[in-house]
Amino acid sequence: MFKKALLALPLALTVGVSAHAKDPVEVLQGLINSIDSPYLTQSEQNLMMMPDNPALWVAEDGRALFHTPRGPNNVSMEACDFGKGPGVLEGVYVEMPRYFADTGRVMDLETRIVHCMTTVQGFPADDPAVRARHNNDSDHMKLQTYIASYSNGMPWNPPLSHPLEKALRDAGEQMFFRRAGALDMNCATCHSQTGKRIRASVLPNANVPQEWTKAVSWPAFRVGHDHVRSSQHRVRGCYWQMRQGQIVAGSDASIALISYWTDLARGQPAILPDMKR
Amino acid sequence: MLIKKTTLAAGAAALAALLIVGCAATDTADTATAAKPDYTKMSSKELAEYLIFEAGGFRLDQPTQEGTTVRERQTQDNLQKICSETRNQPSPEQAGQIIADARASITYPEGGIQLGDWRKGRELAWSGFGFRVGHNNDDHSRREVGGNCYNCHQMATDRVGGNLGPSLTGYGKSRGNNDATRRFVYEIIYNAHAYFPCTNMPRMGANGLLSQQAIADIMAYVLDPDSPVNK
Repeated sequence: MFKKALLALPLALTVGVSAHAKDPVEVLQGLINSIDSPYLTQSEQNLMMMPDNPALWVAEDGRALFHTPRGPNNVSMEACDFGKGPGVLEGVYVEMPRYFADTGRVMDLETRIVHCMTTVQGFPADDPAVRARHNNDSDHMKLQTYIASYSNGMPWNPPLSHPLEKALRDAGEQMFFRRAGALDMNCATCHSQTGKRIRASVLPNANVPQEWTKAVSWPAFRVGHDHVRSSQHRVRGCYWQMRQGQIVAGSDASIALISYWTDLARGQPAILPDMKR
Repeated sequence: MLIKKTTLAAGAAALAALLIVGCAATDTADTATAAKPDYTKMSSKELAEYLIFEAGGFRLDQPTQEGTTVRERQTQDNLQKICSETRNQPSPEQAGQIIADARASITYPEGGIQLGDWRKGRELAWSGFGFRVGHNNDDHSRREVGGNCYNCHQMATDRVGGNLGPSLTGYGKSRGNNDATRRFVYEIIYNAHAYFPCTNMPRMGANGLLSQQAIADIMAYVLDPDSPVNK
């Protein structure tokens, strides 16, 4: 395992991510240089550890998984269209969620992977490959981290030209400000001012795109969890903390919220994969 | 005779109702599998409500600790609606109504507002346990519900508090501990909208999050001269 990791790491830096010239550390450093942000600089330790981000190894696992023919149809994910044609990964993630004509739906990356696993590869919806979403060893996190790494350093640019993309983004804004639950909270309670903290943890301000791009740069390795986590995992965790109900991953509600939060980071470079507390 | 007729009629009505319910249920099932409504024809607010309540956005049937379901958690009351729509900037008229409603929501302990045990209050102020639902439900029979105070407030400085709310370090030291202060702190904890309409402070009493004893203990942590908050 350790040997594999050692081998994988330089590979990730030279083959995959470096296709975009920068590595995630440089992207983050560029943002830190551009703005005085207590959120971006809150963990010196994380900044030091980032060149050895375990998410890079998960991305490498994702590379192997992505290109291997799998499922009942014995097809690789290269046949999956993430928005720019089958097999194209360059910059697809910073342009998601997006509308896909083949499903008539706006989809985020996770939902699109589910779609391709169940249609292109033919996995049953209840197959562990489709169902397991959250840990380093899940196919989902491997694939998401790998695919997202092809958007490292690129500006977030979720399309809004299709009426459904715009409709979901606007509904997501409503959800962002919708106070509900036992604590009367909404997303803006914690994410509308700079330098605010929950206990020791500095919160990203959704109104500052240079800060917010890091907040929405998932997949990221969460040090406290010892796992790579997704956007959907973050959304679920926030609703749990707010004492609202559990949002359903892949629902239009979850995609609406992710559409809005991605739009808030528009134009700022994505840090993929990122590393968070 | 009259009774019998009525019974018959009632029976017929019940049967009709059953049939209607049956049809309605079928309709609902059909709708669920049929084409979705056109999202682009809805206002953003209508669409958000639809996504939450009609399109499988939340696990609405999950039980909550207060004996309801997630559907009730997600349903906004009047205060939540106004504060969402105005982004916490209610009009003077709305603010007046919120303050009046908040005042009416507050009930006071029998025998007056007393301070409890600051040592217990210290742990309750630190604890974030309680009322979380979904993938990891808080079991209230296992552990007492905490106040989450340190999430947003700095209190005694030996522990790190948040800063979304004002610092409460030395609160009792600077304000004393008389009846007026105790009443104010009690009301702020119970329902702070009585003073600050559309505040971010949760309604710890009015929403049934904290017991009277827990409020008294947390108040002691804030106001008791012996509490580390006031050292």
